[in-house]
Amino acid sequence: MLNEEKIILMTQMASYEENEGKKNMAIGRYFRSDYIAIQVLKSILCATIAYAVCFALYVFYDFETFMQDIYKMDLISFAKNVLLYYGITVVVYGAASYLICSLRYARAKKSLKCYYNNLKKLNSIYNE
Amino acid sequence: MTALLELRENLKKIYSRNEAFILPVIKFLLSFIVLSIINGKMGYMTKIDNMAIVLIVSLLCSFLPTGFMVVFAMLFTMLHMYALSIETAAVGLVVFLLLYLLFLRFTAKEALVVVLTPILCMLKLPYVMPVAMGLIGTPASCVSVGCGVVVYYLIQTVISNAPTINSMGAEEATAKLRLLIDGMLGNKAMLVMIVAFTVTVIVVYLIRRMSVDHSWTIAMAAGIMIEVLILLVGDLMYDTNLSILSALLGAIVTVIVCKVIEFFRFCLDYSRTEKVQFEDDEYYYYVKAVPKMTVSAPTNTVKKINTQRRPAPQSARPAEQGRSSGQSRSGGQNVRSAEGSARSVVTERTAPARSRAPYGQQNPYRGREMTGGRSVTISSDHMAQDDSDDYEELF
Repeated sequence: MLNEEKIILMTQMASYEENEGKKNMAIGRYFRSDYIAIQVLKSILCATIAYAVCFALYVFYDFETFMQDIYKMDLISFAKNVLLYYGITVVVYGAASYLICSLRYARAKKSLKCYYNNLKKLNSIYNE
Repeated sequence: MTALLELRENLKKIYSRNEAFILPVIKFLLSFIVLSIINGKMGYMTKIDNMAIVLIVSLLCSFLPTGFMVVFAMLFTMLHMYALSIETAAVGLVVFLLLYLLFLRFTAKEALVVVLTPILCMLKLPYVMPVAMGLIGTPASCVSVGCGVVVYYLIQTVISNAPTINSMGAEEATAKLRLLIDGMLGNKAMLVMIVAFTVTVIVVYLIRRMSVDHSWTIAMAAGIMIEVLILLVGDLMYDTNLSILSALLGAIVTVIVCKVIEFFRFCLDYSRTEKVQFEDDEYYYYVKAVPKMTVSAPTNTVKKINTQRRPAPQSARPAEQGRSSGQSRSGGQNVRSAEGSARSVVTERTAPARSRAPYGQQNPYRGREMTGGRSVTISSDHMAQDDSDDYEELF
């Protein structure tokens, strides 16, 4: 005899596993601190690449003048400025990533909690 | 309105039944439009400005995930830029890379918005996307809409500077870079547009989430007004050459598009709003429940089946022919059973009630209202094979 409640529950869970559940389960495998740390590290890497690309574009923008001035300019203060801007970029972007990843982790955990409750419910139906 | 709701239900039914075919067709058409517009606007590389290539790539996009449409659109743009000059392609690559590394990796689901925003801007309908994303998205959608604006202005900058770049020699590489970078960074219209779109997405989202009647309509009206207002202020401040007429036309089209979205996503019957209050041990609840406007798609229901013994085989044909023509007027259906008897089936097409009653207030006569539609007589011998799913047989 078909159990309608069981079928509905299983269909809902299968649909969840196929769609948003995939991503949430990947997030749920980590501890909160581990997940956020990995994501922030990735963000720092991305910010570094983006900053390097912007810096390269800045150099090429006025390459001739830059090459002429490179012997005259105070290279240490120039490097300090470059590093300062890099630090600001990385800190701001890292903080934004931290916030986004914290929210994502909380949302994924909440969603997975609902999924696990459904699993328990399904288990209890089988044990009936 | 009932006819529209019925149409919506029918469309949903058709879509759910044929999703496997409809979705690829939509993706194919969308990618075809996107790639054709890119080719039409840029078209510097004649090799890819070819209908056959566009059709092949669109066909690929129709069965690949949506993200590939974005990749192909970007690839086409990059190739056209490369054909113009390698410096232009370098600037394009840097812009796409920055957008991906800094923004789009957080909103990968909305990558299609980054393609659709510039396309709608090129079609002189820039107001549609921010209002639509405010209605169906989240405040984070402003990131993807903003990225779309950047892509649009990148393409515009390349198109407007193309004659100058073509006239420059290969030795003027840095001059070409300067031209494009200055064109992008010094473009006040782009900044005004990004601010206007971001504010619009957030305002539309906040208003449509409010607990007021017709919140979606208010949200889209407020969104369009704010958008036009910011663009006008930007025009006054930075002289961005905004056309009032195109702004008004764009606003009208936006309202139409957003009303269609509202009809499919958020169609409520505010006349039957219920406000209830109750409490438990910890809280007091003030609940406002607004029923959705829904009708179920009309179905054919078998009301009566009259079993009749068939006469002798030699006289069956003339008798059956006569009955068939008579029943087409009297409301009957012939189904031949295995035993050789014929059943006369009376069916009724139900056009359901206007909308469902809210919880706890179900109309006791609803069933009668629901079946008060048009009576339809089907007198085909093949009914049992063709429409068997839609019939509730009462044996």
